[in-house]
Amino acid sequence: MVSLGGSALAADPVLQTEQSDVVTLKPYTPHTILVMDSAGTHAKDGRVYVVDADRGALLGMVQAAYNPNVTMVPDASRFYVGETTWAHGNRGARYDLLAEYDARTLKLTSDEELPARALITPKRNSLTLNVGATRAYVYQMSPSNGVEVVDTHAHKVTQSVDLPGCALTYPWGTSGFSSLCADGTLANVSLSEDGKASMTHSAVFFAPDKDAVFENSPSVAKTGEAYFLSYTGNIYPAHLGANATVEAPWSLQVGAGMKPASDASAPFEVTWRPGGIQLIALHQSDHELYVLMHRGTFWTHKEDGTEVWVYDAQTHKRLRRIPLKKTSNMVGVTQDDHPLMFTTDTDGDLFIYDAQTGHLLRTVKKLGTSVTFTIAPGEE
Amino acid sequence: MLPSDNKNMNMDKTLFDQATEAVLRRFAGRSSRRGILARLGGLAAAVPLFPLLPVSRASAASTSAKVKAPTPFAAKAQTKDETACDYWRYCAIDGNLCSTCGGGIHSCPPGTAPSPTSWIGSCYNPQDGNSYMIAYRDCCGQDSCNEVTCLNTDAEQPAYRPMANNDIIWCFGTGTSEMYNCSTAAVIGKAA
Repeated sequence: MVSLGGSALAADPVLQTEQSDVVTLKPYTPHTILVMDSAGTHAKDGRVYVVDADRGALLGMVQAAYNPNVTMVPDASRFYVGETTWAHGNRGARYDLLAEYDARTLKLTSDEELPARALITPKRNSLTLNVGATRAYVYQMSPSNGVEVVDTHAHKVTQSVDLPGCALTYPWGTSGFSSLCADGTLANVSLSEDGKASMTHSAVFFAPDKDAVFENSPSVAKTGEAYFLSYTGNIYPAHLGANATVEAPWSLQVGAGMKPASDASAPFEVTWRPGGIQLIALHQSDHELYVLMHRGTFWTHKEDGTEVWVYDAQTHKRLRRIPLKKTSNMVGVTQDDHPLMFTTDTDGDLFIYDAQTGHLLRTVKKLGTSVTFTIAPGEE
Repeated sequence: MLPSDNKNMNMDKTLFDQATEAVLRRFAGRSSRRGILARLGGLAAAVPLFPLLPVSRASAASTSAKVKAPTPFAAKAQTKDETACDYWRYCAIDGNLCSTCGGGIHSCPPGTAPSPTSWIGSCYNPQDGNSYMIAYRDCCGQDSCNEVTCLNTDAEQPAYRPMANNDIIWCFGTGTSEMYNCSTAAVIGKAA
């Protein structure tokens, strides 16, 4: 045994000395995604993961501290992280930051200090990009609701826009965004090169006390299309722009052959309802909406989904019904012809489904702590 | 029990705090579910000559005695254990219960500071049949305490209605890092 082992060892080549180096990622495929982990139980340690969803493999990560946000340019060459730190961990001077990363090296290419940013459970529309990604829109709440417009080339805040009574940004075109308002309207902000902003309001299209629309609703900057989902399950198709218009709503329940769900005036009715945090995703070219659904009463709008219902946004019909292995407060979808769908659970797992068949393909166990949302190339 | 909560609140009220509360009280007063039920009940009682449907009679009866629980959360809420998510005051709370983190129902744990601002809920107390306005003041300066974490959403609204939104870190003006530790649920008045 000893001599056999000795000869085997002798047959192996001597290991060569190695140089330490750093991996550069390949160009992103449609299935290379960013995953926001807000790490809610230790929120100063949030992070953004880069995941190869075809293999379920972690490719790298960057820090994203304290109720952070992330947004990626459409060609997936770079992404921006909005984050907040304090000089001495939980104390000292506060820094609100917009960090720009090269998406393949994950090297920091800019580390801009912002005047402020809103500290709020991460939601995608608190940090968005215009078409062309020359401007980033940072939502902030101190001293009052507003948006900082960042020039992403000069790395400077060029404008601050007050948003009295309104919140978040749903960008359209190169120089405008809409916001959702407390009175049930959209505010539509047009930015001009001279640093001024003008605002219009849409007609009132929803009643917040009775049936609010989710701020996590999807929109597409290059077309201006948006789908505002209400607590009961009504979809309001909108055309964002300087004079945004909103169409009459259609019901998820009716599209599935059921009667419409009750609103706040009859909160005890139990039926299938939308719920979660990032609870709806759009496949842009297929015009398909993915919505987390559960059975519950009104006021269960943040309850995890037990299923994902997939709708044709043009015919308003339910196309598919995907039961989830574990209930999820988040759903995401890639933008290619063979899309993947993503959900999570309370253990920070990432579930990867074939979005068309609904089959669970693979699971990244304990990817993070609080997986909040995913971003796929071309989604923003 | 309930009125004493206000007296015992160990917090300095700033002018801003008072102004915010005043505005929110008016807001919640206008939008209280109990107020709506009372008006509906009054309407039913005021038109006795009309052939009343059974549902109208039930509504009138409920206002003459105790108001029925206005929401599914209220219908299942309990009044004994303030360390559990179904305690009646927590109808719109999102986050860690300070009562399980070294603080109390209206007290911050040591090492943290209370927020002078808050989001507001209107919660039904099944013990006395009244609805109360609840200020969910966050305690700030240490990271998340994570003992008992709840997500209740009665009348909860998105961030475009900030005074009713429980996603916002309500640590403005605490003089700390604005890092969120836990949430309290102080009674600030009777609704309606």
